[in-house]
Amino acid sequence: MSSDQNLSADVVIVGSGVAGSSIANELVRAGISVVVLEAGPRVDRQHFVENFRNLENKPSYQGPFPSTPWAPHPPNQITPNKYLHTTGPNAEAYQQVYLRMMGGTTWHWAGCAWRYLPSDFELKTRYDQGRDWAVKYEDLEPFYYQAEVMMGVCGPDPKVEDLGSPRAQPYPMDALPLSYAAQQFRQLIAEQTPWRVVHEPQARNTRPYDGRPTCEGHNNCMPICPIGAMYNGSYSVYHAEAAGAKFVTNAVVYKIERDEANKKVTAVHYYDPDKGSHRVTGKYFVIAAHCIETAKLLLVSADEKSPTGVANSSDQVGRNMMDHTGVQVTFISGDKSLWPGRGPLETNVIDNFRDGDWRGEHGAYLVHMVDDNQVDFATQLAISKGYVGKDLEEQIRYLASHTVRLFSHNEALPDPDNRLTLSKTNKDALGIPHPEVYYKLPEYTVRSCEHTRGVFKQLIGLMHGTDEEWTPGYFPQDHPSGSTIMGTDPKNSVVDGHCRTHDHDNLFIASSSVFSTVGTGNITLTVAALALRVADTLKKELLHA
Amino acid sequence: MPDFKKVFASFLISGAVLGGMGYSTARATDVGQDVMSRGAYLATAADCIACHTRPGGKPFAGGLKIATPQGDVISTNITPDAEHGIGAYTEADFEKALRHGVRKDGAYLYPVMPYVSYAGMTDQDVHALYTWFMHGIRPVAEKPTETHLSFPGNIRMSMMAWNLLAGREKQETGDSSQYDKLRRGHYLATALEHCGTCHTPRNRMLIEKQSQYLGGAPLAGWYAPNITPSATGGIGDWSEDDLVAYLKTGRAKNRSQAAGPMAEAVEHSTSHLTDEDLHALAAFIKQIQPHDDDKDHQARDSLGKAAYNPDLRSGELTRIDNLHEKSGAEIYTGNCAACHGQDGAGTADQYAPSLYANSVVGSERVDNLIMAIVYGVDRKTPAGGHASMPGFGYNSDVQRLSDEEIARLVNYVTATFGSGDHHVTAELVAKTRTDHLETAVSHVMVKTTTGNSTP
Repeated sequence: MSSDQNLSADVVIVGSGVAGSSIANELVRAGISVVVLEAGPRVDRQHFVENFRNLENKPSYQGPFPSTPWAPHPPNQITPNKYLHTTGPNAEAYQQVYLRMMGGTTWHWAGCAWRYLPSDFELKTRYDQGRDWAVKYEDLEPFYYQAEVMMGVCGPDPKVEDLGSPRAQPYPMDALPLSYAAQQFRQLIAEQTPWRVVHEPQARNTRPYDGRPTCEGHNNCMPICPIGAMYNGSYSVYHAEAAGAKFVTNAVVYKIERDEANKKVTAVHYYDPDKGSHRVTGKYFVIAAHCIETAKLLLVSADEKSPTGVANSSDQVGRNMMDHTGVQVTFISGDKSLWPGRGPLETNVIDNFRDGDWRGEHGAYLVHMVDDNQVDFATQLAISKGYVGKDLEEQIRYLASHTVRLFSHNEALPDPDNRLTLSKTNKDALGIPHPEVYYKLPEYTVRSCEHTRGVFKQLIGLMHGTDEEWTPGYFPQDHPSGSTIMGTDPKNSVVDGHCRTHDHDNLFIASSSVFSTVGTGNITLTVAALALRVADTLKKELLHA
Repeated sequence: MPDFKKVFASFLISGAVLGGMGYSTARATDVGQDVMSRGAYLATAADCIACHTRPGGKPFAGGLKIATPQGDVISTNITPDAEHGIGAYTEADFEKALRHGVRKDGAYLYPVMPYVSYAGMTDQDVHALYTWFMHGIRPVAEKPTETHLSFPGNIRMSMMAWNLLAGREKQETGDSSQYDKLRRGHYLATALEHCGTCHTPRNRMLIEKQSQYLGGAPLAGWYAPNITPSATGGIGDWSEDDLVAYLKTGRAKNRSQAAGPMAEAVEHSTSHLTDEDLHALAAFIKQIQPHDDDKDHQARDSLGKAAYNPDLRSGELTRIDNLHEKSGAEIYTGNCAACHGQDGAGTADQYAPSLYANSVVGSERVDNLIMAIVYGVDRKTPAGGHASMPGFGYNSDVQRLSDEEIARLVNYVTATFGSGDHHVTAELVAKTRTDHLETAVSHVMVKTTTGNSTP
């Protein structure tokens, strides 16, 4: 045991990603003491930029982040995987990646910052599918805005382009200017289809904001924004630290200790990299350790009082795993050149398949026209066609400027059989089991993906596309959710509408793991809004107790 | 002659300085619009707001800490609030403070207030300025903290002796808007913009050495460079248009760009001057006595060229917890190259400027390069937009560089793009940061509180 075995705070938070660090920042600024335990190390940007430049496989956005042995994360999205072991009929569709380190997975995201639609919280009531959340859009609206200000989100004026999520305030920053490729795509969709392309709300600067510069369109959001124009959780870490929050890195929490009655959490225990054990006490505890690691921690904390895991009297911990499964196609437009790759990665979305009565039949989805640099794809294609010498150079230029990539985010449903368990055979350097996930795509999602393929084929036709390359099967979109599902009934859910566990009064969860359904749009802004609402609840209880 | 009315109106429309800051234009109907417009323009040209407004505070309500060798001087409320501001001042009281450094109650002002420069203002302009301060801005009932200096600064009477030694601008006469170009330029440079306050070196008594007017001086970690027309030590190679572009937008391509205190001067003051006045100011500066520099012996913006750095890569990655201090070249590619280019050429539009043919990198004095790396650049002008480079100091959200890393980066940048390897040490970087925070010369605003602000 080391000297800091007496570490204690009003609130102990596990995880320093966007959820944990933003709660820490809110609480410490209200005069509440906070300790944050981060399994991974302290990190910095220049190192990742250097790693990225040294990386051979540039599209591998997990590539520049080789993990530590005591807090491993998945090395890539390839099945079989050295850390996240997936099984079942659609094992490859759940090969998620994430980062265990200070600031969390927002070090490599595309900054897409959607609010969910009001209907996303009421899928059961409106469409008789899945579950309703125990929180409504209106409850979350002020926290959505708080999250947008914290992260610095740019988006369209609702009077010009209404994204369907009512706003009390305009976006903190104006929408991104459209890239050339986006302009071409917008025009095509507007003129030749009944659909529309909208500005994707983005947690990236369209003007200098919060001491960070304007996005310059390096097209490098994933794996690493080289200039800090895009939000990542490390900013909230820095802000919380400046206000007095204590962050302990390389602190791998492995046990959640409860009182005699098993009603309150009394401490968490963590290993340092040498497996020295430390105990941290507090009045409240928040697990904000990413969907997969949060469920894993609750499960590894099983003991006689909670034989199936902490907060798991419902037996729902680890179940209901969801994602926005994707369909992807890349092809060569037969029309004008588009020159993709000159701006942020993801800025344009067709949102016509986001909500409608058909959600009773199949899942909603967003269509992204991905604005990433296509030289890599074009080069492989040109070589495969047998070009050499000067012709090869010209062909690469032609193909790279005409490549179009479309992908979708298709909605899943909570299914208790889609389940995370602890590996019986694979353990990390500290002896903690690796996570395993069984995954079978819900039929609801399969039907949604079929619909998407039809739309993609129409778009390929419209653009006189050739050389179609469909990504085989279904692929993960790294939006894991549902593993500690929210609900009003303690018998079939893990947390209530305030993200408090039904079983333990002072234990909260701040993660996409609480999502009752996966919603439409990328998950991060909703994770942040729920986290800020947890901070609000904790402030009320601690300051008015 | 500048069209004051037009300029004043453009302030209100542009919103860059005056718009949205609570100016009560309605009250202006009581007095002549010409006088009001003229007063507003003069207040901008004299950059009163720079010192008399604290960051985030109400305009002219004071409260800014200005570091001096004897402690912080805290700027006063100069809004027309009778109790907390200067609302009870008569025009004669105002004139005494402005041109003679004597408060209404008879106490001497600290020369942080550049009354030795303002002494050159004409009676007509003092009247316009007074009228505008009394009627053009909203009274603010706030009292900034009192200034408490250490000995001998705490004895305000000692300023009387200083005043006798210091000398001051000769008071101008007539209608300043009717002066010919050079006389107007002289008036702007001395009585209003008070360029010499920063750019003229001072003697031990902190009195400006007029024999070395605008010859360059250190400035709280920054260095206000030699801007005399010397072809080797100053800005003799700049055209009048270069200078006008710099003062209007904060940058002159392939010459220099404003950061720190000069960015503030450009933002608050010079970018709002009329083109005619900017040309007058530039023409005046171009014909003052040239002074060679004791360190820079070649035009600062004439050094360096694009680097040819083939970006060869190892394919080897290091673990996420490997935070070893990097080489200058690695620090450059990791933090600077994304905007300034691997070759140092900057962006095509020079929003991110080239690092060669750049005064800051070409100077033998590395102070401004260190400060720009630590604190970044943040400069808004109506014509030049919002220039922004993040700082890489202790509070940076983008990347926090150690003193040693900044030293290596500075040496790499000057060796690759500018005046050669200066063998800057971590100790010098640390000292430059400390100088900025703790000791300042004269009246330039120094933000002594830094930190992360959430907008």
